[in-house]
Amino acid sequence: MDTSHIRNFCIVAHIDHGKSTLADRLLELTHAVADRDMRAQYLDRMDLERERGITIKAQAVRLTHNTYELNLIDTPGHVDFTYEVSRSLEACEGAILLVDAAQGLEAQTLANFHLARDAGLVIVPALNKIDLPAAEPDQRAKELADLLDRDPDDILRISAKTGEGVEDLLKAVIDQVPPPTGETDAALRALVFDSMFDPYRGVITYVRVQEGELPSGSRIRLMATGAESDAEETGVMAPEPMPVDALGPGEVGYLVTGLKDVHLAKVGDTITLAGKHAAIEPLPGYREPKPMVWSGLFPNEGGDYSELREALDRLKLSDSALSYEPETSQALGFGFRAGFLGLLHMDIVKERLEREFDLELIATAPNVEFHVIKGDQTTVVHNPAEMPVAGTFDRVEEPIVFATVITPKEYLGAVLDLCQSRRGELVDTTFLTPERAEVHYMLPLAEIVFDFFDHLKSNTRGYASLDYEPWGYQESDVVRVDVLLHGEPVDAFSTIVHRSKAYAYGKQMTERLRELIPRQLFDVAIQAAIGSKIIARETVKAKRKDVLAKCYGGDITRKRKLLETQKKGKARLRKVGRVDVPQEAFIAALRADAGAKKK
Amino acid sequence: MSAHLETAGIYVHVPFCLTRCGYCDFNAYAGLDHLASRYVGALLSEAELAAPAWEGVEVVSVFLGGGTPTTLEVADLKALLARVRSVFAVTPDAEVTIEANPDTVDEQKLAGLLEAGYGRLSMGAQSFDRSVLAALERVHQPASVIEAFRAARAVGYDNVNLDLIYGAAGETLESWERTLRETIALAPSHISAYGLTIEPATALGRQVARGDVPAPDPDLQADMFEAACCLLGDAGYGHYEVSNWARPGYECRHNLGYWERRPYVGLGAGAHGYRDGSRSWNVRPPEEYLSMIERGELPVGGSENLEPADAYLEEVFLRLRILQGIPASWVDDGRADPYLETGLLIRDDGHLVPTERGMLLLNELVLGLTG
Ligand SMILES: Nc1nc2c(ncn2[C@@H]2O[C@H](COP(=O)(O)OP(=O)(O)OP(=O)(O)O)[C@@H](O)[C@H]2O)c(=O)[nH]1
Ligand code: SF4
Ligand SMILES: [Mg+2]
Repeated sequence: MDTSHIRNFCIVAHIDHGKSTLADRLLELTHAVADRDMRAQYLDRMDLERERGITIKAQAVRLTHNTYELNLIDTPGHVDFTYEVSRSLEACEGAILLVDAAQGLEAQTLANFHLARDAGLVIVPALNKIDLPAAEPDQRAKELADLLDRDPDDILRISAKTGEGVEDLLKAVIDQVPPPTGETDAALRALVFDSMFDPYRGVITYVRVQEGELPSGSRIRLMATGAESDAEETGVMAPEPMPVDALGPGEVGYLVTGLKDVHLAKVGDTITLAGKHAAIEPLPGYREPKPMVWSGLFPNEGGDYSELREALDRLKLSDSALSYEPETSQALGFGFRAGFLGLLHMDIVKERLEREFDLELIATAPNVEFHVIKGDQTTVVHNPAEMPVAGTFDRVEEPIVFATVITPKEYLGAVLDLCQSRRGELVDTTFLTPERAEVHYMLPLAEIVFDFFDHLKSNTRGYASLDYEPWGYQESDVVRVDVLLHGEPVDAFSTIVHRSKAYAYGKQMTERLRELIPRQLFDVAIQAAIGSKIIARETVKAKRKDVLAKCYGGDITRKRKLLETQKKGKARLRKVGRVDVPQEAFIAALRADAGAKKK
Repeated sequence: MSAHLETAGIYVHVPFCLTRCGYCDFNAYAGLDHLASRYVGALLSEAELAAPAWEGVEVVSVFLGGGTPTTLEVADLKALLARVRSVFAVTPDAEVTIEANPDTVDEQKLAGLLEAGYGRLSMGAQSFDRSVLAALERVHQPASVIEAFRAARAVGYDNVNLDLIYGAAGETLESWERTLRETIALAPSHISAYGLTIEPATALGRQVARGDVPAPDPDLQADMFEAACCLLGDAGYGHYEVSNWARPGYECRHNLGYWERRPYVGLGAGAHGYRDGSRSWNVRPPEEYLSMIERGELPVGGSENLEPADAYLEEVFLRLRILQGIPASWVDDGRADPYLETGLLIRDDGHLVPTERGMLLLNELVLGLTG
């Protein structure tokens, strides 16, 4: 096919600025979805996305408009999913940068703009939600124009809700975004930018063909893993899967690889044809994202470790940012230490594992990665249990991020106070516009990854936004806090925190556990400790009464059944030393109720 | 495990009450009095239907429970006992108990019951604290218990039990101790003291679930239990089952039958019977019971054959309740040790017997010992 009629573009924006809603209008405008099948945020296909009202996974669709073939990728806006955005950019020549005309520029507007620009994409800026009474299009257009160094008149104004201006925007995309380049005759090189596992069809990859042609049913080769396979089908998402004869240069589509082994198809790999037509050089691929937080994932009582492994392997295909390694806990048995891009990501992964693979999981308290240094040796610690005893090393370093906060100027003071209280170091403050400050801080990752965002939002009435990127490691006074039940440490409850936070963690955990641990036949001491020093303590008083009051009238059956029920309940307890701990106590005590909020 | 000679008890259920108490989940109904005479007739028929299977078995106790059996006329109650005696092999000295509510008896009625052959009276006193009675939604007043008790004594009742309940909302340890003292002052031959249990399918259960009424505090109930052990023990009552005390020789033979897993016949709506490792029970709703009997059917609602594991669990839990304890050899090695060490059990003549503290934690003991 002639590539001059192909346009590959994505929609990028700050969270909630209307990307998926704009995608809806484009689906309608190009008659890709029958009216009766249309629903809001059509491309948010996962139940989780619909329930939470956010996009989690980038979605590529093929649209046809006049004589043009349009490959559109809707991307997520949340900072935890930036990796999805950067992979999508690699499959495109252009990006619509959408800005909410009421909210204006936000932290991920800037971050995504920089990503798109650095990837060499043509940027088509647009203000969205101009139907809102609070929209200030003139002011916002000027700000956005300043950022892009363009004329405010270049900024299109649309309402993804009403459809106003959407057709003009599409026209601008077709006019401004260049068609892809790439020779049909060249050896095939197609970039795997996403993948998934289908229980019936095996590994399905989403590819962008850079050059050459990928005919349906060809024998393919994955260049990084060397795996070869007879591809079953090529097709495009329109927006439902639609087989095509071939994908040509510049085209975006899917490939049913015929592979069943999930380890053989990696996101970022290059697909070529097997045999003498194989390409020599793979495409650059992606930098593996670095996990920001780690947590133990364990099957709930009776759950199966190998099922969890299988589920993780499959999920990783459609979530390449996930990483994991086996871990054993005294309290929770065999599981995995998994790395995530943030708490939302962690929450989503856990829920997807539970829903899509029918598992019940316990996740331990999340922590960041620490570097323990002795002499010229560095040990990387993802798991509090691996933290060496104090005194056996020279120092510990914790991850630092470069954080950007954008805030209306009236909340600047509140933002500075918050960052300061989180051990932050101010880099600079600039004014994006006379009304909006852009603050840069060096902050320990551990300080912002948990509940910082909630505080930021509540201290600024929801107006400030945050973005951050890894910067490096810095020495820090961190300690491991252990939680002991009746003198017995419970590894699942240990955490590594800055010394200033140790007491709060210890107090919170001991108080929670006091509510969660049922009374036993003896007083149970619940202690939090740093080394041998107890920093918090609670007691669950011994149970004194557990007897059926009345046993008469001859209805012995019922009493026996009550005892049998109680017996079953006992069987679900995990023993920690002498203490019986119900499974629910682990789940409830480890529930990250602060920080893991939606946005 | 049980090597008793074949003697049995008979339980007769009367499901009628004046009003429904808030905590009660028995098979009892207010406002069904119009069924009373049909019901008595049905009991007479059921006795006849059931008796042939029990031929040759000595009946050593009869217990009329409810509900409130004393809502029935004395004449009916007399006919009922006469029928039971005529179709079953009831021994002449059998213990014959009738449950009574203070508000349903006066001197005349009590005299009639005694004369009819109901030699043991079990009265629901529950508390001598007005506010506790109100919390339990009992209609009677403390004074009517005293009055009814005195009337029983006056007509010649020697063997009288008073039922008490502790741990209702608002009841303090002091109030409970006063109730115990007033009870002791009346000098009944037998006292049952039950910790209030909240059953979900009751008015009180729903109030607790809604948070309108606090659930009983188990620690306070433990204190109350200990107070009962102490005061009743000092007053000369022997503690022979978790919730039962008696003057020597006045232990309830009928209830002991349940706990010792001796056979019993159940007559009436929802009544349970037991024999040879199998339990069966009648249909619960009185109307259903009546129509089955009137069609000439045995009104069986269900039954179960006890597996060895069920029988073992029952045997352990019942024997621990009556403080006979269980032979140490029944328990796997080492299982009893933690309880012996912490003083919940003692070893007595090769038996494991719960202490007072152990009785309060009997469920734990049973589960821990049976594993
Ligand atoms: N009034 C108005 N509301 C809009 C418009 N566009 C989107 N919205 C609303 O804004 C909210 C977020 O829209 P989405 O399309 O889910 O935003 P998104 O950018 O895809 O969000 P993420 O994928 O989570 O980053 C929804 O409630 C939309 O209905 C618009 O033009 N006008
Ligand atoms: S009198 Fe007894 S059986 Fe009747 S409702 Fe009250 S507690 Fe229940
Ligand atoms: Mg979206």
